[in-house]
Amino acid sequence: MIQNILIAGVGGQGNLFASALLAKSAIRRGYRVLATETIGAAQRGGSVVSHLRVADQTLYSPLIPDGQADYLVGFEPIELLRQVRKLKQDGIYIMNSRPVLTVGCTMGLDRYPTLSEIISALDEMNLKGYMINATEAADEIGDPVLMNMVMIGALCAVSEFYKLDEIKTIVAEGSRKSLIEANLDALETGAQLIYEAAKLEPV
Amino acid sequence: MTGDQSVMEREAVMNGSAEAPADPEVEQRFVMGNEAIARGAVEAGVRVVAGYPGTPASEILTSHTAYPDIYVEWSTNEIVALELVQGASLCNQRAMAVMKHNGTNIVTDFLMHMNFTGVRGGLVLISADDPGGNSSQNEEDTRILTHTYAHLPVFDPSSAAEAKAMVQAAFKLSESTELCFVLRPVMRVCHSRTLVDFEPVQTTPRPADFINDRSRYVMSAVVEKSAGGQMRPVIRHRWLNEKQRELEALVEASPFNTIEPGAGRIGLVGCGIGYAYCKEAVAITGHNFPILKLCTLPLPREKVLAFAEGVDTLVVFEETEPVVERMLKEILYDSGKQVKVLGRSGFLPAEGELSDRVVLQAIADLDASYQGFVPQPFPLSVSAPMRTRTQCVGCSHRGLLHALKLVARKTKGIVTGDIGCHDAGAFPPMELQSTIYCMGASIPMGSGIAHSGFDKPVFAIIGDSTFFHSGVTGLINAVHNETKLVVIVADNRTTAMTGFQPHPGSAENVRGDQVRQVSIEKIAEALQVPVQTVNPYNIGETVAALNEAVKNPGVSVIVASAPCYLYAKGRGEISFGDRTVSVDPELCNGCRVCIDYFGCPSIQFDGEKASVDPLSCVGCMLCVDVCKRGAFL
Repeated sequence: MIQNILIAGVGGQGNLFASALLAKSAIRRGYRVLATETIGAAQRGGSVVSHLRVADQTLYSPLIPDGQADYLVGFEPIELLRQVRKLKQDGIYIMNSRPVLTVGCTMGLDRYPTLSEIISALDEMNLKGYMINATEAADEIGDPVLMNMVMIGALCAVSEFYKLDEIKTIVAEGSRKSLIEANLDALETGAQLIYEAAKLEPV
Repeated sequence: MTGDQSVMEREAVMNGSAEAPADPEVEQRFVMGNEAIARGAVEAGVRVVAGYPGTPASEILTSHTAYPDIYVEWSTNEIVALELVQGASLCNQRAMAVMKHNGTNIVTDFLMHMNFTGVRGGLVLISADDPGGNSSQNEEDTRILTHTYAHLPVFDPSSAAEAKAMVQAAFKLSESTELCFVLRPVMRVCHSRTLVDFEPVQTTPRPADFINDRSRYVMSAVVEKSAGGQMRPVIRHRWLNEKQRELEALVEASPFNTIEPGAGRIGLVGCGIGYAYCKEAVAITGHNFPILKLCTLPLPREKVLAFAEGVDTLVVFEETEPVVERMLKEILYDSGKQVKVLGRSGFLPAEGELSDRVVLQAIADLDASYQGFVPQPFPLSVSAPMRTRTQCVGCSHRGLLHALKLVARKTKGIVTGDIGCHDAGAFPPMELQSTIYCMGASIPMGSGIAHSGFDKPVFAIIGDSTFFHSGVTGLINAVHNETKLVVIVADNRTTAMTGFQPHPGSAENVRGDQVRQVSIEKIAEALQVPVQTVNPYNIGETVAALNEAVKNPGVSVIVASAPCYLYAKGRGEISFGDRTVSVDPELCNGCRVCIDYFGCPSIQFDGEKASVDPLSCVGCMLCVDVCKRGAFL
């Protein structure tokens, strides 16, 4: 068994933290884990991609081969788009609908595609997945920075491998007391958003 | 901030150990390749570690601060670090220098002497490469500098665990051969995260003693009486050449080079991370290709010849230049074997990072029946706009760059740039710096422009860490040679781009101890040139200082000083308050100065008016200063 998860986002969105959280959950269950990230030269604002590979056998390449990701978690719509070649044909994507505009888009040099254009492009490739507004949900909980936890909660609702309760336990162990509640809230909210989305438009 | 994951928590998750290690003596930890490398050095008894920050290597050095008995320092630059660890080695201590590939370029001069003198205590040079230039200004293969050029042995790890084992072996072999050993991990090894065995640290400190041996450690063009009047450099060169025989025997027996038999006449040669991609690709094809794993330089000649016996074609997967490929051709030619050797000198892509895809494509190119395993292009009906680099929201550099742009445009001046967060000012919308090369190049290049007869102002912008690294020599040169140049030091009190490492201008060292801060202003004063310190969050003040500096007939220095917002905020030392900025649509006339000149990522434009994203704005208020209509409130 090999399970590959790719998280695509923008610097500062807590991509590596999310990936490490999932890795820890897999390690607790005795799996082998191999991960890597591409972070770019800037502290903030560049594309950040993390590859997480979990298996019960030896893994060699830290990079997920093209077409081999079981889940593609996009913290940002066009960052998800950029990595979509990694997704298995029967893999599932989860997309945060909140764009982080590029400098070129703000300047009017490039055009940021509309969410419906992005969704139709994914549909045309027969890819299945969910779109949730995780940043807005995180902001309602108290801080948009919790978006990564909302997205991990959503992944737990979609994936049979990652269990929400287990992730919650790890987060509770590793967080400062004052942050535990908000983090757990964000995880739960992410899962709920998927349950709701699934009811509305089952995939 | 309720959701802010502190550095400590992040580390708690990332370094969390797995439950119930199999061997009570051995603890399995989920770590970065860089931490595995550091642990290898610790278990080998390293006593002195020095380096200069640079992605992908930075975490190797900081990991050593967990061990109080090890002397660790961020040096001003890489050659200082290497010279320092050689000093420790001469006192019979195990020592390690850590850098990225650009730093290895810097150490070349010392390296080309250290290879002749050899070392005493085990000495390992970590030279981390960044194939694909994911976090670098260039991509290069430092195996050429360290092995082809300096003739030193190199280990090229295929995984984090192997990197740890290699560091341990390197220290031992460095002592037995008296040679500096090089570990050349690539970014995918440094930045891989996996479970690595941490064994107990059982080393005993050695007394530091210095034994004089001037025949070795005094490198000079001197005649050696005892060697019949030969020149010392020739004698030491011969010593290094003779060492190669010793190394050839060592690598033949090395566990880092292995033959994995398989079926068919195509043999895959996996070097370092290239081996990992070979294994991955072979698993995808389901065909058992023979694999030769070669992770040392020099190469194990006998192993190579034994493997070549069973194949017609060898395909070499290595990062990034055809180093092993050419060495294999030499070995095979000398032995008279007719085996085709393919690799990065024409068959595989000659630039960029390897991947399993490169291996699959190579196999398919040799045997079309494997074409089905090559991932097909993924045509999407929309394309994702590229994300170019910019400063963080709240960064003080944005204020400095904006002020500099105002003055440079008005005076039709040229701005030469340097390495650091401020270098993103070279990209849209700022498009300010006209040159960016290597660290320290801004001031001499600006000097050259000024002395060429160019009659407009020349501005050289450089970061604080870079100023100490290699900027100060250029400044001294500019002053002494009567250059008309404005030197601007973007001083954010840390090495921000690589993860906030301290430098000689910082109040703390790598361990967090209070240390003497070296003042950039006082250096400039000692050079007897005018120096002004400005607050880059105050655009008016910065513009005034620049206008003043332009009038000066010689060198003038401006230190734009404000702590890195991201770093200082993380430490709870700075906050702009809870207030975020909003735009009054009545006052905004859509002039786009805030978009096309200033370019804060929090400012958006709907086609007519600007607006501020309240979720990302941190309230630095620079835009309030930028907007001449007072629309930002």
